[in-house]
Amino acid sequence: MSKKRRQVKKSTARRRTTSRKRAISRTAAPSARGALAVATSARQTVRARVAAMADATLAVVDDDQALQSMLAVLRDRKEPIKVRLAALASLQAASFSVVAFESCRTDYTATLRAVMDDPNAELRQRVLGLLMRDKDGAAQKRLIAGLESPAKALVPPEKALQLLGYDPHADAYRLARKIVKDPPNETAKREALRLLGADSSARPVFEKILRDKKEAPEYRRISASALHAIAPDVLQKHAREIVLDSSESEDLQAASLTAIAQFGDADTISGDAELMKRVGRMRSGASTKVKQTAKRLLTKYGQ
Amino acid sequence: MTNACSIVPEDDAIDPALSEDQFAVLVDAFAQNSDAGALTSLLRESHAIYDQRSTAAIVRMRGWILLALAQVGLPADAVIFALEELDTGHDGYLVAAAARALRSSDPRAEFAPFLMQAVGNMRYRDEAVAFDAYGAYATAADATTPIRELLITLTWLGPLAGGILPRLVELRAPGSGVSKKLLADLDRAVDAIGRDRVDPPGGRSWGRQPRALRATPGTPHGVPAAGNDCCDWRGSLGDVLRWPFGQRADSDAVRPVQFEDHNGTPISYGEFFTGQPSIVAFFYTRCDNPQKCSLTVAKLARVQRQLAERGLAGQVRTAAITYDPGFDLPSRLLAYGRGRQLVMDGGHRLLRATSGIEPLRRHFGLGVNFVESLVNRHRVEIYVLDAAGRIGASFSRLHWDERNVVDAAAALLRDDTPGPTGSPVVPSPPARLRTASTVLGTLASLGVALFPKCPICWLTYMSALGLSSVLPVPYSPWWEAALLALMTLNLATVWWRGLASGRMAGFHLAAAGAVVIVAMKVGLLSDQAAMPGVLLTLAGSLATVWSARPAVSMPASTSVPGH
Repeated sequence: MSKKRRQVKKSTARRRTTSRKRAISRTAAPSARGALAVATSARQTVRARVAAMADATLAVVDDDQALQSMLAVLRDRKEPIKVRLAALASLQAASFSVVAFESCRTDYTATLRAVMDDPNAELRQRVLGLLMRDKDGAAQKRLIAGLESPAKALVPPEKALQLLGYDPHADAYRLARKIVKDPPNETAKREALRLLGADSSARPVFEKILRDKKEAPEYRRISASALHAIAPDVLQKHAREIVLDSSESEDLQAASLTAIAQFGDADTISGDAELMKRVGRMRSGASTKVKQTAKRLLTKYGQ
Repeated sequence: MTNACSIVPEDDAIDPALSEDQFAVLVDAFAQNSDAGALTSLLRESHAIYDQRSTAAIVRMRGWILLALAQVGLPADAVIFALEELDTGHDGYLVAAAARALRSSDPRAEFAPFLMQAVGNMRYRDEAVAFDAYGAYATAADATTPIRELLITLTWLGPLAGGILPRLVELRAPGSGVSKKLLADLDRAVDAIGRDRVDPPGGRSWGRQPRALRATPGTPHGVPAAGNDCCDWRGSLGDVLRWPFGQRADSDAVRPVQFEDHNGTPISYGEFFTGQPSIVAFFYTRCDNPQKCSLTVAKLARVQRQLAERGLAGQVRTAAITYDPGFDLPSRLLAYGRGRQLVMDGGHRLLRATSGIEPLRRHFGLGVNFVESLVNRHRVEIYVLDAAGRIGASFSRLHWDERNVVDAAAALLRDDTPGPTGSPVVPSPPARLRTASTVLGTLASLGVALFPKCPICWLTYMSALGLSSVLPVPYSPWWEAALLALMTLNLATVWWRGLASGRMAGFHLAAAGAVVIVAMKVGLLSDQAAMPGVLLTLAGSLATVWSARPAVSMPASTSVPGH
């Protein structure tokens, strides 16, 4: 870089900093003003800027130019990523002051959309999380496109599923079902099952996994939990069968006993001699966890 | 009934499997041909084009249609869709597009309250929106926003929006929810409206005027009230529809539909929605628009209170049926109703159709669509049913006024909704009267059938009575006439009940029984025809009692505390 260009750059940076400082000094509280000046200054060390970002939150909601300078840091790919992440956290904190932040919201959302495909994975993921909490259509579109075609993915599939779970109307169920059938990794399958937990038509998927002893215990537990939410009667039926099946995992038996004890129909359980006999046996000859849940059930139903 | 509530015809020529990009091309083509009718028909929520799409995709699609209509000019029958977005919409893109589309129609003072309502809905959730390409999302700070579009539309209305000026001025106060950046737009709107302000007749401020746009009680939709200028264009709104008695489609197709209520009690449509008029709203617990389902059920609770205040609580049933029966299990329905102060007992229930929503969707012409099992888009809708479970009135799209709904139910109850082609609605008689009528009617038929034909037969009967130590009774031929009158009266009540419940089979049986008995009495049939005649009468009477049974078979009350 030539000397002249360096000088022009330096003078432009100085002018920007001076203008920011002037803008901040007009309205924001003194501590917030100072913090913002440090946070947005390229001359300061990364550590000092990150530390100042936390105190700059108040300045953002007070003054539009302060907001714009913070948004500029967040958008600028040349800024150190730690500073950009700190700017995002500071803006996010400011957004909690709903009334005061109203004048900033439009620009803030537009900036988040602009940086959702940033090269930095962590920033991308955080921004997508913030947008999806507001059920943002742009973020949703990109996440679904990424699940349909992994080359376009902004985040790993498990994260995309987790974020799409914020909006049950996102048309992610069909993709989740696909992932359950043919998962790219174990975590993605777990997240897909969690997402399907709100889909009332996914009952057969959960019934199949719950009764399949070859499935991982975690998936089977998620399936039991999902069935409790979407078809509690069906879960009670399967829970009974799992308790009666001596070859079932003790972990799942304990979960089934809890489901029966807490949510089962009292008359049906009291009148189920086979079940009560089996639970009676479990009280003495199983793991501590199973013993405890069996005792609880028997106490509740007066045995 | 095919689709009683649709305003525009279905366009079956469009492939529902179009991709979003193909859809955008189609809409652009309609816009180029200035085909506002085709664009309007695409705005129906139940259109197949919205089936199995995400809510976000539907927002993009409907927004693009509204923008296309903004180009070609919003026709009168599409104004309702724009007003609906302003009234209940909570997506910034759609609200902004609706505000823009409205500017392509004729300016009307009645738009102003809807625009103000939308400003209220969008406060604290204003966002940048992009209209330059299909599916575009704004990433720059200079984009327009819903509140900006609403303010521009208010500026366009100018003095016609005079009624909302005080409320608009209040938005200048700090913390009012309008961005400081929009203060210039706000000032422009205030200036434009205040320039030559036109106050509406009869008062300075209209407050929440949209309700005044709707059909006044007793005024059929599309028939403007004399001397009321606001109603001249109301015929195109289509948010209130009324069907006179003779024009109501029967409910036979949905009568077998099985429901489960908030307590898990099974009941069929035929059982719950016949015998008395009913008010039925549609909702689902996972609806994330507070202006739609949550408000609908809360307003239904207010309807219940108004019914009670007017002494109609026991005479009009209320129900809210979920669009999402797979997820809305009884426990969820109960919690949802309790949270909104809804009275829930035998005559007032939250229901889920255990056999699915499809038959109801067809019968009511519901404005709803789905992605998988979940609702992706729906309108606000509430129906008033007559005692035969047929739709007598519907209120949809815009927020309905509780008083108008109660009035519509009371009108059905009072039997004062005569139609040009039909008879009035006949309220069902009370349960005790039904039972007494059946017993008396059958006994009368028996009496007529067995009544002695001459004094000699009478003496024979009496000697039998004398043998059994019963006091002799003098020959009284007038008894036959009295029994015949009773039998005729029974026939009339059976007809009355049949008319009220919409099931005339009972009447036909009883009438056949009466004909057989009379034919036997006049000698056209042998005496052996007497018993079949009596049995036919009994069967007919019982059939009508059975058809109106739910009025006496409600389970025990489970009222929410405080009601």
